[in-house]
Amino acid sequence: MKRLNGQQSFSITHLFIYVLAFLLLWEWLRPIPTVSDTGHIDVFVWFAFFSAVLIYLRFPFKVTLPALFVGTIFCLNFIFTQESFFSREGGLETLRIFVSDVIYNFQLIFSWELASLTNSFRTFLLFMLLALICYLLYFWIFHTKKIFFFLLSTVIYITVLDTFTPVDASMAIIRIIVIGFFILTLLHMLKVQEEEKAIKRKSGTFISTSWMYTLIFMVLIATAVGYAAPKYEPQWSDPVPTLQRYVLGESGSGTGSINRVGYGEDDERLGGGFIQDHNTVFYAIAPDSSYWRGESKHEYTGHGWTSEPLEYESTSLFEEGNVDYYMFFDSVEVEEREVRIMMEEDVSFNHLFYPGQLINVNVGSIAFDVEVDNANMEDHLPLTFMTDANSGKITSYSRLEERVMLKEYQLYYEYPMFSLNDLRNSTGEDPERIQELYLQLPDDLPARVGELAEEIIADYDNRYDQAVAVEQFFSENDFEYETANVPIPDDGQDYVDQFLFETQYGYCDNYSTAMAVLLRSVGIPTRWVKGFTAGEEIEELGGGMNRYEISNSNAHSWVEVYFPEVGWVPFEPTQGFSNNVEFYEEEEEDLEIDVGSIEEEESDEETPDRDDLLPEFDDMLEESEEAMAPGTGGTPTSEEWFTPKNVIISIVILIMVMLFYQNQNKFQNRYFIMKYNLLGKDEKFMTAYDRLLWILENEGLPRGEGETLREYASRVDLVLSLRAMQQLTEAYEKVYYGGKEASGDWKKQKSQWEEIIKTLNKH
Amino acid sequence: MRSRSEQSVVREPQVASMIENVEKVVVGKRKEIELSVIALLSGGHVLLEDVPGVGKTMLVRAIAKSLGANFKRIQFTPDLLPSDVTGVSVFNQKTMEFQFRPGPIMANVVLADEINRTSPKTQAALLEALEEGSVTTDGQTRELDSPFFVMATQNPIEYGGTYPLPEAQLDRFLFKFKIGYPTKQEELDVLNRVEKKHPIEGIKPVLTLANLVEMQKKVVDVYVDETVKRYIINLVNSTRKHQSVYLGASPRASIALMKAAQAYAYIQGRDFVVPDDVKYLAPYTLQHRILLNSDAKLSNQTNERIVQDVIDQVSIPVGNETAR
Repeated sequence: MKRLNGQQSFSITHLFIYVLAFLLLWEWLRPIPTVSDTGHIDVFVWFAFFSAVLIYLRFPFKVTLPALFVGTIFCLNFIFTQESFFSREGGLETLRIFVSDVIYNFQLIFSWELASLTNSFRTFLLFMLLALICYLLYFWIFHTKKIFFFLLSTVIYITVLDTFTPVDASMAIIRIIVIGFFILTLLHMLKVQEEEKAIKRKSGTFISTSWMYTLIFMVLIATAVGYAAPKYEPQWSDPVPTLQRYVLGESGSGTGSINRVGYGEDDERLGGGFIQDHNTVFYAIAPDSSYWRGESKHEYTGHGWTSEPLEYESTSLFEEGNVDYYMFFDSVEVEEREVRIMMEEDVSFNHLFYPGQLINVNVGSIAFDVEVDNANMEDHLPLTFMTDANSGKITSYSRLEERVMLKEYQLYYEYPMFSLNDLRNSTGEDPERIQELYLQLPDDLPARVGELAEEIIADYDNRYDQAVAVEQFFSENDFEYETANVPIPDDGQDYVDQFLFETQYGYCDNYSTAMAVLLRSVGIPTRWVKGFTAGEEIEELGGGMNRYEISNSNAHSWVEVYFPEVGWVPFEPTQGFSNNVEFYEEEEEDLEIDVGSIEEEESDEETPDRDDLLPEFDDMLEESEEAMAPGTGGTPTSEEWFTPKNVIISIVILIMVMLFYQNQNKFQNRYFIMKYNLLGKDEKFMTAYDRLLWILENEGLPRGEGETLREYASRVDLVLSLRAMQQLTEAYEKVYYGGKEASGDWKKQKSQWEEIIKTLNKH
Repeated sequence: MRSRSEQSVVREPQVASMIENVEKVVVGKRKEIELSVIALLSGGHVLLEDVPGVGKTMLVRAIAKSLGANFKRIQFTPDLLPSDVTGVSVFNQKTMEFQFRPGPIMANVVLADEINRTSPKTQAALLEALEEGSVTTDGQTRELDSPFFVMATQNPIEYGGTYPLPEAQLDRFLFKFKIGYPTKQEELDVLNRVEKKHPIEGIKPVLTLANLVEMQKKVVDVYVDETVKRYIINLVNSTRKHQSVYLGASPRASIALMKAAQAYAYIQGRDFVVPDDVKYLAPYTLQHRILLNSDAKLSNQTNERIVQDVIDQVSIPVGNETAR
């Protein structure tokens, strides 16, 4: 048995499966550059290929190991130095550095300082891991003949990456499934052949043609159907908030009117549930993710927010130092960046969305449209930009005073990084104008709101920690994130009061308004900001730029808190979202940091992209409504697939495919009849007979290993109630064993041959 | 292996008439008769292992009579001497010379009954005759008659008072098979036939020895394709490699199998050998040529089963697969 196993290991099928498994391994490597800062991924792929070949060829270890080592050094040399491998400065130097590197890193490992391992050593470890995996694949395929575990882990790996990171695995998953089908089927074929060998029907492994045809056909069909078939939109909301929600527990019920999520204009009456809308609003090409600010509002009415416009014209558009809307003082550390925003078709905003502190707009980059038909764009130039100094809303107007729809623009902005020291030590008086606008509260605000605020901040002595305490208050007190069933307060009821003391669930408007109001009630100036969250990173463009997709479901609201000598600092009270603003702490400061602030210290790219939410009354998005099924929670595009026409076509195609599959042998046999009809010569008799054996085997009448042709022929004739097979066999024997010329009786033989095939087809 | 009793495959007319003739005496043993004829045609000898009284003697006598051949019977007993088999030189006082008096082996058809009851020395004398076609007495080698056909019988070895034949000597027999008891119907038939007069008395020759020699020459001319030869070699080889086998079949077995297959093809009126011939004859040719190892014996394996195993495993050469 051992000897037989050894022979098989070199069968072509095994090699084929091994190659496929290597492709799967490749799928593991593909997304790595996207999720980490690993470069040169092609080098890793080549190295994996190199190890796979070495292992497949089954050199002794004393050859394989040095070869792998040299390969590793070569790759390290390629990645980390510019010099040629074969020069003294290249390979040898790399080797020398490598050796000292290994010693150094082993010291680190022994002292358990894993975080400080050098890059080249990490790379070396990854190479070793790849070689090991190649060996593991070899072992799985050639010895245990099981690969499902690897396939499953690949699928899980890719889906997890697709869900939680910017990796787009929509093609990868198809590749994996196709490869996986092939591997599993081929392995199964091997197993079947082995079993046949065990019962002495077959002596070796080979790629069965019928098996391959069927396999390729089925995989193609499955993939095509899977690719083209209608798919439901995700039935679960995005897993990140969902998981958080499951961890935090389910919410109660509530009532409220249903709206669609999006960026609305009117915030005077907040509340009510909404349904998701994943239509894209715009794409942004930016170096990093950030919240997109549209405007802020300063007056809380008890039911929503309003703002008093205070517009200044900025024709020349923010020439240096001419910004009309400042958010930070100069003391704030900033980084200058640029972003290009491209609005989706049918989206018409006449004001800008910008991250951080807007400092300039590239006039030349602006593309816009007007609502008048056949308008000559030249007539509308130049655009006038009006900056609302109270809200930060920057609106464009055409020369002809038509409403402008901005299509594309490029912005320059300053990305702030706030020093926690400065924030904590910010003690100055708020300017009078700030106090006037941003401490406003409605007269009928219930007193318990203020009392609650006092309670929350009682333990903190500076504005920053107080703000963080309020920001954290909601999560610490199990407020829940809920988009459906959020009630609209009655006329006599305060929006914030209802949220804080009655419902305790809601979405961003509830959280942001509540935070703003709570802080105002203890004398901290706040304003309520509307815009979009960072969106989903969909593409890496190189040069450090990424493409983000921002959809209606990214509509969001948050809070800005005023700090004297610093400016307006964004806070994110909504459950399941994290602040997109960078805070840093100077080293020499005391280490007594408030725990709550730590969470904010880094910007989070995994901002949930769906669940936010402003109920929308939106006349600005002119996209079609028919696609929306009324009254359901999902985005029911699946409905339109289930038209009777599509269903009928699908069923007909399916039946045809099934019929074809069932009758594939008949078609194939007809083909052979035709072929031998055309080529009917005596010399063809032998091949025709061989073909007949092949066909019979395909039809489920295989000849046993130790079965002679006569025995087989009489068995076949018995099954088919014929005599033709025995007659044909006799003729065949004469030629094959008797060393005679073919008898020339091709006509008769052909009819016998056809008789068998036709009988087979009938069966 | 499928039973072949349902089909009579003998197409060679002379052989057919001979078998028919023998069947007048031996009831329901067509297969065994055929095998005997095959051995006769290919110049081999047959070892029957069976209990007494099942018709061994009748079979061989009927064959001898059908050929009109000289028939002798040697009853092997423990006290039988080699010279009792081969013959002895006696001093003739008239001519004052030693005169050779041929033993019973000097015949065309010999029945060597119960050869395992005699001493090894006497067995050796017989077996030399089988293999060499000659005997040596008084330093003189004497050719045996031709054709020469021995049908030996032995009691199943578990019976007492026997000297089992060494395996090396079993190899000298082309076939070894059993005759076995007849069915009830056949036995009734036997009774009916012998009621008045034993049918052996009425057997007339249907062939001459010259006919037989001629047929033996034709058998040699039967074509054996290389694919079939390879099949024979594979079969014999596999007995050597089988895990239960201590000693496999020798190359002599390959030769025997090929010659027998030629004869078998011949009696079917075919001038070439097909694997079916080989496969059919393999059990009778190979069973007595292998020795099982102790493991196999302990697990109650039998030679029959091992040979059948080998036959089932070895692939038949067919079509383009032989190219492999």
